[in-house]
Amino acid sequence: MKGRTGTIAALLALSAALAIVAAASATTNRAAAPTATVGADKALINCGRTRTLGVAAPITGLAASLGQQQLKWANYFVTRYNRSHRNKLRVVSGDTQLPDTAQAIQVAERFASNSQILGVVGPAGSQEVQVSSAPLRSGGLGYVSGSATRTSLTTDGTRRGYFFRVVPNDDQQGPRVANWIRNSVKATRVVIVDAQNTYSTGLADTVERLLKAAGINVQRETVSEATVTDFSSLVARIPANTQVVYVPWQVSSKAQLFGEQLRAAGKTARLFGSDGLFDPDNFKIPNSLISFFPIDLKSSVIAAYRRGPGGGKSDLFGLPSYAAADVVARAIDKACANGNATRAEVRGHIGRTNIPKKQSILGFAVRFVQQVRAPLGPGDMQRPADFGIYRINNNGAYARIG
Amino acid sequence: MGSSGDNPNLPAPPDEVDRPRVGVDEWVAQVEERRDRYTGLSGLARRIVIGVPVPARLALFVAFAASLPLWMGRGDLFTYGIFTLLYVLLGLGLNVVVGFAGLLDLGYIAFFGFGAYFYAELSSEHYGIHWSAAASIPVVVVATALLGLVLGIPSRRLLGDYLAIVTLFFGQAFVVFVNVGNPTVAGQGLTGGPNGIADIDPLTFLDDELTSRAQQFYFLLLAVVLVLVGLHFLSESRTGRAWRALREDPLAAEAMTIPVKRLKLMAFAFGAGIAGLAGCIFASVLTAVTAGNFDLPLLITIYAVVILGGFGSLTGVVLGAIVINVSFQFLAPENPQGNARLLFYAITLLLLVLSVRPWWRLGAVVGGIVGLGIVIQLLVEAVAPSWTGGPVVEGGRLAGVVQEWVVITPPGHGRFGSFAYVGLVVAILILTRLRGWIRTVAVVPAVYLAAVVWENSFVEQPAVARWILFGALLVTIMTVRPQGLLGTPRVEVV
Amino acid sequence: MTTFRLVDLPLAFNSELATQLFINGLTLGSLYALIALGYTMVYGILRLLNFAHGDVYMVGAFVGFGILHLFGGPLSPNIAVALLITLMFFGAMLGSGALGVVIERFAYRPLRDAPRIAPLISALGVSFFLQNSVLLLFGASFRSYDSFLLGSAHPEQFVPGPLSDAVFVINGVNVQLVQILVLATSLGLMVALTLLVARSRIGKAMRATAFDREAAAMMGIDVDRVIASTFLIGSMLAGAAGVMFGLLFSQIFHFMGFLAGLKGFTAAVVGGIGSIPGAMLGGILVGLAEAYATGYAGGRWSDLIVFGILIFVLLVRPSGLLGTRAIQKV
Repeated sequence: MKGRTGTIAALLALSAALAIVAAASATTNRAAAPTATVGADKALINCGRTRTLGVAAPITGLAASLGQQQLKWANYFVTRYNRSHRNKLRVVSGDTQLPDTAQAIQVAERFASNSQILGVVGPAGSQEVQVSSAPLRSGGLGYVSGSATRTSLTTDGTRRGYFFRVVPNDDQQGPRVANWIRNSVKATRVVIVDAQNTYSTGLADTVERLLKAAGINVQRETVSEATVTDFSSLVARIPANTQVVYVPWQVSSKAQLFGEQLRAAGKTARLFGSDGLFDPDNFKIPNSLISFFPIDLKSSVIAAYRRGPGGGKSDLFGLPSYAAADVVARAIDKACANGNATRAEVRGHIGRTNIPKKQSILGFAVRFVQQVRAPLGPGDMQRPADFGIYRINNNGAYARIG
Repeated sequence: MGSSGDNPNLPAPPDEVDRPRVGVDEWVAQVEERRDRYTGLSGLARRIVIGVPVPARLALFVAFAASLPLWMGRGDLFTYGIFTLLYVLLGLGLNVVVGFAGLLDLGYIAFFGFGAYFYAELSSEHYGIHWSAAASIPVVVVATALLGLVLGIPSRRLLGDYLAIVTLFFGQAFVVFVNVGNPTVAGQGLTGGPNGIADIDPLTFLDDELTSRAQQFYFLLLAVVLVLVGLHFLSESRTGRAWRALREDPLAAEAMTIPVKRLKLMAFAFGAGIAGLAGCIFASVLTAVTAGNFDLPLLITIYAVVILGGFGSLTGVVLGAIVINVSFQFLAPENPQGNARLLFYAITLLLLVLSVRPWWRLGAVVGGIVGLGIVIQLLVEAVAPSWTGGPVVEGGRLAGVVQEWVVITPPGHGRFGSFAYVGLVVAILILTRLRGWIRTVAVVPAVYLAAVVWENSFVEQPAVARWILFGALLVTIMTVRPQGLLGTPRVEVV
Repeated sequence: MTTFRLVDLPLAFNSELATQLFINGLTLGSLYALIALGYTMVYGILRLLNFAHGDVYMVGAFVGFGILHLFGGPLSPNIAVALLITLMFFGAMLGSGALGVVIERFAYRPLRDAPRIAPLISALGVSFFLQNSVLLLFGASFRSYDSFLLGSAHPEQFVPGPLSDAVFVINGVNVQLVQILVLATSLGLMVALTLLVARSRIGKAMRATAFDREAAAMMGIDVDRVIASTFLIGSMLAGAAGVMFGLLFSQIFHFMGFLAGLKGFTAAVVGGIGSIPGAMLGGILVGLAEAYATGYAGGRWSDLIVFGILIFVLLVRPSGLLGTRAIQKV
């Protein structure tokens, strides 16, 4: 097949390919291809007895410890919902395998094409929201994240009506932390260690900027939280007279390890963790501080989770996903009141969510902002959604102090 | 193998293990294959694939691929179509380095990442430069090829596994540099740090933006076809033959005055250029790139594509990408689990049909499995009813049948699934060691156990099950066919 | 526990930092060395890069965790801590060793005569399989050895256990009991391995098989058994390393094998793959480079610096530090 016959055949195949491409692009440029989801958000979906919501989280891979907590809490909400409602919910999960956003966009495309899905819980990471925005928008789906905190996701206004989050954003958390360090702890030497991911560097940058503006001595360090377990060299770099080490990380076990190594090296600095580290099961370094929204740690729901799917653990990193599932479920209920719904309707109801404080697992009422009002943007929660400061006392218990 | 049985005075032929293997000789190694060629199902399949001439294969592939957007939903087109083609493109590039020239490059994905990031710099909001794709793609491809050349320079001194390590370092260094290094250039971070670069322009040609998935798919298909055709001619040319000589025996190649060092550099450059092209398309499809896109998991996938397909063979790479991506996507948790269940039972049945002969034995085995299931289910219902009757996840029409046949423990017996899984792994390992009628009998409880594990464990955690099955698939394919699907069996020097 | 002050001379440069980093690097490096040994031994005999080796190490860590909880858990052990740790080591080495032999039997032996790159994919398949099996069975959350509080008298008050007690003080730097334990155990294991390979019959058989497999087979050595023993020993070392990791760093999870395996593979190649003293040296080198780079340059550039050092080593000595230049047969 070498030689001229092969060459001619190859050229023929090539021209055939070019012809097909030209023809196809001609048709797909003008008319919407049959595969496009234009009009997907207005398409009427028969609600039936079982309604579907999608949950996008990193279930396997490097961030599996975080994503599985979110999935478990979302599933737990659905279990409780199904016990008390006549119409049932079911979950379709998507594995976004953080930090590879290529998987996240595939999950988003699949969700958009799945004609039964009415709303989405997730995705988890801010960079995942970035890539998922276009597919989910073209599918008309609303998505509520329990952990994507990058401020610009809402304040740039491009995801209005589609993206919502049930956690306060970085620009709310950063100033709270900086103020506490400056005014209550009155620290003069602070070390900030970011974890080389998008969540961490955002918070670290904000806090560093604010503390430096107040004249506090700030030393910035960085470590790859996902891959490093030996923090001893990092610990060696922290000066002995440091008062506070701010660690906006997400893996509580790593922070615990870091704290222990800090203690073992004889350093007396206090750890200050961000909301990702709020985990009484794993992060228990005494005299540490953490910022988190003021949930009721004695809540019966959390206790029931511990007895049930938690297997003795609270997995509080995934708690906001319960709230996110709650938001989506209520919106689906309202939209399906007349038997069928469109995704646009569900989105609208999500935007008009109003969960009173007593029914909200987050400890405050859940309502969403509609316009940009720095530091909040459309999709952020309205006040009183804000952060509280907790302190870990000597036996590992968390107590709210601010 | 029966011809020497004719003359009883001759000693028996040496058996497989002791037969001396001499030389690197494809023809000798293929003798067995040629004998088997006309027998059985696999022989037929092989004949079909190899018998079709190369241009016809290309035409068939293009025709099939071009038809995909017409019947596939958008989500499926994206996951099955676009990503398969991306893997094909990357596989073709890696094939040049590993398959043609025999260089173990473990940093290949860094070229992909470099191409993607460079395209992102040139055609996005990051620096406000918005070149059209017609301008940025050639620049990126050439730049990536140059980078490949630069990486190739230290490779000339390094052999085999040492080259692997150095290239691995480059790959990891790229990821770290992009994620953490992020030097400040012209006022802002060059690579965007952990946030990466977002808002990347879609591919634009003369004011025509390729925004719909179908358009992107066709462009990618065009790129793949161009690269395939180019590589085919390259492989048939003097350079291709020189590469193959280099792969088989670098010393002999050098002795025949083949410019080994220059060839290595060329291989790196070509492979890198193709990766750069793939990177441009990837960046424009995703519209945002971060360091995590270009790390080891993707490298492993592309290596699996190349090796599974039989490295050195272009059709093999295409086939490998299709097999790997399709099987991986089919088992995705977003897909209805009922489909995966059907696939599981279908494949189990197929394996039984292929391996248990004659038909009456097959019937006995299948009947035994069904019967065993019903018996065990009845026993458990009678003795310990709380251990069965659990819900069938997404059963659909099969739910009732499955419920009667498989013991599914209700929630609260989490350990059961785990123990069953461990038991299944042990059972399968033992099964591969058995022979004869014992094996046929042992298949019955093993298959039932597999169904139990599927219904109790795998459907609960489909994302994890996908990886387990994928790993098992890789091991199975390699042990059954080490040269890959379309590779040629090779014999190594004594 | 009483602590011994060894060296307390104030030195000109910041020797406290340098000493701290040296100890950290040595400890971490001995861990890498143990993993690298497994890689190098298998490579020496089979010319195979066993990418599933990291996951054998991970399984060893989990087996140790299982044994830890079998006897009451880190906060309330039923037996003496020393005995518990010894049992954990033995159990992990046994479990990992068995796993290594099984993997060789089923995933590599059929590929013994295949082109070298085929077992690579088989190894990757095994790696996926092991990682995700552990994920399926144990879940995704980190499991903790709680070594900081292991055996502590008052764990609920965060009183440290005996493992983090300072045994020596060198240059103002505390050397913890767990670090001494890790260093001593790895040294002991490496010495035992060297003796085994140099003096015993099986060691001689291993060296012969590594040198020339066909000739060894012709001399009556059971090659299959030798290869299985190699995998057994290499995996046992990895299992021990897994438990050491747990004791040093507490947190184990399903992905740790992948990351450590990479470091171990790097160490083996830098030291000269196929050479046992090379693997030990390479491991120590990688550990020290990591510690010093992080300590002096911080986490931002440390990885790149380590890569730079190792690439430099390889460019200067292309077959690794102690590797033999491969003789190319014409």
